Amino acid sequence: MTESLLEQLENEVGNCINCGFCETVCPTLDPSGFSLWKGARGRVIMGRTLLEDKKKGIPVPVLSDSFYSCLDCHACLFVCPAGVNAGKVSQLSREIITTTSDRKNENPYARMIVEVTARYGNPLGVKARSAAWSEGLQFDRNAEYLLYTGNMFQLMPYTKNLNSARKTMGNAMSNFMASRVANHPSMIKMLSRMRDKEMEQKNFGTLRNIVKLLRLSGISFSYLGEKEPYPGTFIYDLGYIDKFKKYAMYVYSVLKESGAKKIITVDPHTYDLLKNTFPKYVDNFDLEIFYYLDLIKMPALQKGEEKIVYHEPCHFVLRDPRYSKPFQILSSTANTVLAKRSGSKSRCCGGPDELTFPDLSEKASQIRYEELKSTGADIIVTACPICNVNLSKENRTMEIADYLASKLPA
Amino acid sequence: MEYTEALREILGKNVIFDTVEKIPYMTDASAFNGKEPIAVALPETVDEVKQLLAFCNSNKIFVVPRGGGTSLTGASIPLENFIVLSMAKFNRILSISPADRYVVAEPGLRLDELNDKLSEINFFYPPDPASSMAATVGGSISTNAGGLRASMYGTTKEWVLGLEVVLPDGSSMITGGRVLKRSAGYDLTALFVGAEGTLGIITKAFLKIWPKPEATGRILAYYDSIEKIGLAIRNIKASGITPLIAEFLDRITMDSLNIAKGMSFPAAASYMLILDVASTDLSIAGDLEKTANMLRDLNPIEISITRDPDEMARIYEARKGAYSSLLKVRKSSSQRVIIGDVVVPASELPAALKEIAGKAEELGIMVALFGHISDGNIHANIFAEPGNAESMSKEEEFQKHLGKVALEHGGSVSAEHGIGIEKKDLLLDQEKFTSSDVAIDIMRKIKQAFDPNGIMNRGKIFD
Repeated sequence: MTESLLEQLENEVGNCINCGFCETVCPTLDPSGFSLWKGARGRVIMGRTLLEDKKKGIPVPVLSDSFYSCLDCHACLFVCPAGVNAGKVSQLSREIITTTSDRKNENPYARMIVEVTARYGNPLGVKARSAAWSEGLQFDRNAEYLLYTGNMFQLMPYTKNLNSARKTMGNAMSNFMASRVANHPSMIKMLSRMRDKEMEQKNFGTLRNIVKLLRLSGISFSYLGEKEPYPGTFIYDLGYIDKFKKYAMYVYSVLKESGAKKIITVDPHTYDLLKNTFPKYVDNFDLEIFYYLDLIKMPALQKGEEKIVYHEPCHFVLRDPRYSKPFQILSSTANTVLAKRSGSKSRCCGGPDELTFPDLSEKASQIRYEELKSTGADIIVTACPICNVNLSKENRTMEIADYLASKLPA
Repeated sequence: MEYTEALREILGKNVIFDTVEKIPYMTDASAFNGKEPIAVALPETVDEVKQLLAFCNSNKIFVVPRGGGTSLTGASIPLENFIVLSMAKFNRILSISPADRYVVAEPGLRLDELNDKLSEINFFYPPDPASSMAATVGGSISTNAGGLRASMYGTTKEWVLGLEVVLPDGSSMITGGRVLKRSAGYDLTALFVGAEGTLGIITKAFLKIWPKPEATGRILAYYDSIEKIGLAIRNIKASGITPLIAEFLDRITMDSLNIAKGMSFPAAASYMLILDVASTDLSIAGDLEKTANMLRDLNPIEISITRDPDEMARIYEARKGAYSSLLKVRKSSSQRVIIGDVVVPASELPAALKEIAGKAEELGIMVALFGHISDGNIHANIFAEPGNAESMSKEEEFQKHLGKVALEHGGSVSAEHGIGIEKKDLLLDQEKFTSSDVAIDIMRKIKQAFDPNGIMNRGKIFD
């Protein structure tokens, strides 16, 4: 482990005065039953414990659930008077744990995901179906833009069913199985039959609608099909930074080989990762990154009677707070409102914990869903496949591409 | 563990035994570190609270109630043989009656959440400690919290109509209630205000609420001396205007806000005044101008008026975060900021501040000063090194002197943070200074009457 990791952690936790403002906006505190170690202030305190034990050279107790349960939304940063980011504390702590191969603190699902991604270029080993959505579609060759789905829409049907299986197995058995798969990645193949087919069809439809919207806007683009690699989001988020550096280089090389210099992403996680994180780890990163809505030109439409509430993805309002394109487009198309907690006070849907802490994720999503529903809106519109799955509870939630496509003239 | 089974029986899943999971409960917003508690209880019902207290009472286990964990004096940390009783799950508003001017709220509700809800009907609950984002109804009652608006509305004690409390033996009672008047024997509600959880557990609070001012505006004025601000405030109050808030900040605090929040301040300013005026839509402009003119009489370096809600919210939030922002100007990463809290009659504040600043200079320590100038409440923030004996000795000497200054000017050693662990000696000093030693004896007898086994937050306020 490099000294700089501990120094960075010390800088972050050393600025905390324990005022507790951060835990009031932390989306995991309430769903955890108000257990402080799964709230933002608790994570800073646990980060301090990790730091002190590391500095003393004594064994670190099993405390990593505190850091792995963080949704990385960074809502805490916006209310901290001292500029402390409990999300960064979690990120650094996870990195320290993985760098020191502290196996008892490593999350088995995190390890499984990383090992499987390294082997198959896909966190659940289902790359073979990643291009199934595009059957029958023709893409341009040597186009200016490359459509990069990042596999997120394609993965969601598998995570949903994986979580159902986890609930049946119970935590101990589920973690044991994850460890087994981490040690023997080929075992992940059991998963390939475990997808939610209804959700898969819905998500395939969303990807096809994105293509439709781009084409109607006059954009010419290519697509890598099954060759398209997963972007490595989990590897980065779970703290395996050394592995991420190598993986990011691989993804970059694949994207470069396409010849396109402009990359169209379709979800906020991939967009943020490529736009803001890749340049830090890939030397001379020279690709221009777009979210597909950047390129959409919607025809002038008459606003309908329906009221929609837009759930802002964390990566658009908390991680990259300057990005407001989805809201602009929706507002011009429909009577659009935001939930009471929005903008820099937005609340995460709980999605990033879906694989590592499914119960917590479910409770967090229910809280956010109720907030959105309380606006009285007829439709909840999301702009992220993870948010969409987590907030789809009563058949009133739509992905933004599906909503916009439904408004196009016949 | 000895009590595991019994506690599980009472609390089911609402209890934490895991050593690591308990770590965050050993601290609050003070500089004190507590001991590992036997368990952390997170009850969901009053019945669970009753059973838990009865069990602890029978087994001589000490209980520290925890609200938002924002105590600055160590009131909410566990000591030896303690159970932490977190009221986090009691976080609902039970009823609101604007016509009768009350709200019934649970103790774990955060103050800002309460006011968010009340603002929907254009009402508010005035006590607003700087920690109001995290502080809870129960915790703020238990420390008699003040805050910025205390200038106009007083502290928490003015706004608590009644309480439902569970006593250490597991019985419960309601003190006061939904009415604005009551003359029925001893005011037991008042005993729980500022009791720091040493008498029982608050499970419900009946709080007075008030219509929000129709219009407010803010004046920012910068001066080269605190005396000028003190004089200006005296003139303003004497003219019949009561500021909604009147906050002063010294240069160190301004510098920290510059770094933490990107706010800019005139280079020549030694002190800043933030003064809010509440009025009607028709009169606000005139009232602001009249107040600003009185401030102009004292030759400010710069003065401005704003009624922009976003700008006002930005400044208000920055002031509330001033304590945390001070870490941005510390000299080394091992330094901590320890906040002091004393009060003097408002007109004595400039003289008291001068003495306080003089002591800091004499000791060679860095102290940032801000506070509520309209009610004479001074927060002296000491930059200290917890691992350095000399630094901590100076910190202690300074705190002692701070208390002495407050007493000599006719004030108190604690304005709004309570006593906790930190100020037990200062409380004794205060009673000696006012020749009121008997007051502590009476407090002990009151404690004995409520809590004969001494299980409630033992070791806080007094030994």
